[in-house]
Amino acid sequence: MSNSFTYHPSSFRDPSGFIFEKEKILYRQVNQSFKEHFDLFISSGFYEKLVKQGLLIPHETINENLTGSSEWYTTLKPEKIEFISYPWEWSFDMLKDAALLTLRLAKEAAAPGMVLKDATPYNIQWQRGRLIFIDSLSFEKYNPEEPWIAYRQFCESFLAPLLLMHYSKNSLQQIMLAYPEGIPLAVAKSLLPWRTKFSLHVYLHIHLHASVAKRKNAASPSKQKFSKQKFLNLISSLEILINKLRLPEQSTAWSAYYEEASQRNDYLEQKEKVIWQWLEKLPGIKTAADLGANDGQFSRMLSVKNIQTIAADFDPYCINKLYNQLKASTEKNIQPLIVDLSNPSPAIGVNNNERSSFIARLHVDLALALALIHHLVIGKNIPFEMIADLFQKTCSTLIIEFVPKEDEKVQLMLANKKDIYPAYTAENFEKAFGKYFRLVKKETIPGSGRTLYLMTRHEG
Amino acid sequence: MHYWLLYIDPGSGSYLVQVIVAAALGVAFFFRNIKNSIKAFFTRNSKNTNDNPKD
Repeated sequence: MSNSFTYHPSSFRDPSGFIFEKEKILYRQVNQSFKEHFDLFISSGFYEKLVKQGLLIPHETINENLTGSSEWYTTLKPEKIEFISYPWEWSFDMLKDAALLTLRLAKEAAAPGMVLKDATPYNIQWQRGRLIFIDSLSFEKYNPEEPWIAYRQFCESFLAPLLLMHYSKNSLQQIMLAYPEGIPLAVAKSLLPWRTKFSLHVYLHIHLHASVAKRKNAASPSKQKFSKQKFLNLISSLEILINKLRLPEQSTAWSAYYEEASQRNDYLEQKEKVIWQWLEKLPGIKTAADLGANDGQFSRMLSVKNIQTIAADFDPYCINKLYNQLKASTEKNIQPLIVDLSNPSPAIGVNNNERSSFIARLHVDLALALALIHHLVIGKNIPFEMIADLFQKTCSTLIIEFVPKEDEKVQLMLANKKDIYPAYTAENFEKAFGKYFRLVKKETIPGSGRTLYLMTRHEG
Repeated sequence: MHYWLLYIDPGSGSYLVQVIVAAALGVAFFFRNIKNSIKAFFTRNSKNTNDNPKD
């Protein structure tokens, strides 16, 4: 077997090992330098315990040096993650649960004499309806001389954004995009309201933390034992604080959309019926993206057909609600994400390669774009051609709804702005999409004047 | 940002803070535990009275 492989673009910070791709399969190499820690992780039964509890990604051990590296100790083949997402695409409660999962792992690691050395949201992913920890090289042997090495990282990358959202009563995913390595404590401190100084846990973990970390002598403290009890107190305090954080539900433009929409001539029912009929005749659809998913009604329909579905919407409150509903259910096929299609998550990090863009990650068999097009064309002034291009990059089959200009919702949008959209016609829509897609079916939803299209991408 | 901060690992400053935070939490949790055990003592008592009104 040849030794050609590629390093994963976001796996370079940790000397314990790295992720690489070889013959389209992702592997993780464990380096010699991490041998002692990794052996303890396995031999203590901690790995197995976490996998059994569904908290950690399972792997297969491959006893072969696939990279030819002299540093090689062992190779792991982790279970494949269906779709990698980033914290700026997660709703408030998803980030909160990821924080609580991190703390739980840190706490449980203490029993076999280990410590969680990384506390970053990137180590957590959504897999089959739940949050799961994906970095099996994050646990190392506990050293009683050292406090929790990931404490600052935890405060900056989980606690700070959650606190800012809680106190500002706003969903602030974008702030994590501005600070992908966590919001610096000094920044978090200055953005939080003054009264948070009187909350014991916020004061200790943010205000005091920021002030002490700034001191010159803080860098070289005299070494003294940091007991397990102290460590557990630290984790408990963070847990108490995070459990109290809430994002108030807001009635946004969309949250009442379906209730209102459903009153319109059984519009949703008719729409569902047409899509259901089409789905019956579409073989081989395994993955889908419901773009503009709102409360996820149509994502659920795809899920019933056992299609792995990304439910994306730009409304963080809708997605948060959907996340909580999914969490309370046994639903495994839907991944709720906050994405603004007029500004999807960009590629960021080292070489602009470390975290990839939403469009680069999204390759699905089917995309659903229901009652979306008018928001992009009339709401955001994006021409049909650019929207068609967006879809052709992401899906091979497309079900898209065209909302005509006479529609009351479009008229509502036009009420307060100049009608600069003479090109907004079904004919131009079909022409623009025809460049990339073949029209398979077209059906008007009775009583609404809206039309559903089924299209497949021209291949080759 | 202080100039010298650029030359040290940003994580290292959190050693001292953890020692201080842990000490503060030690005190806070000590009193919370006392408060909780007093609370538990009284709620247990009132529960007992409810369960066995004749006792």
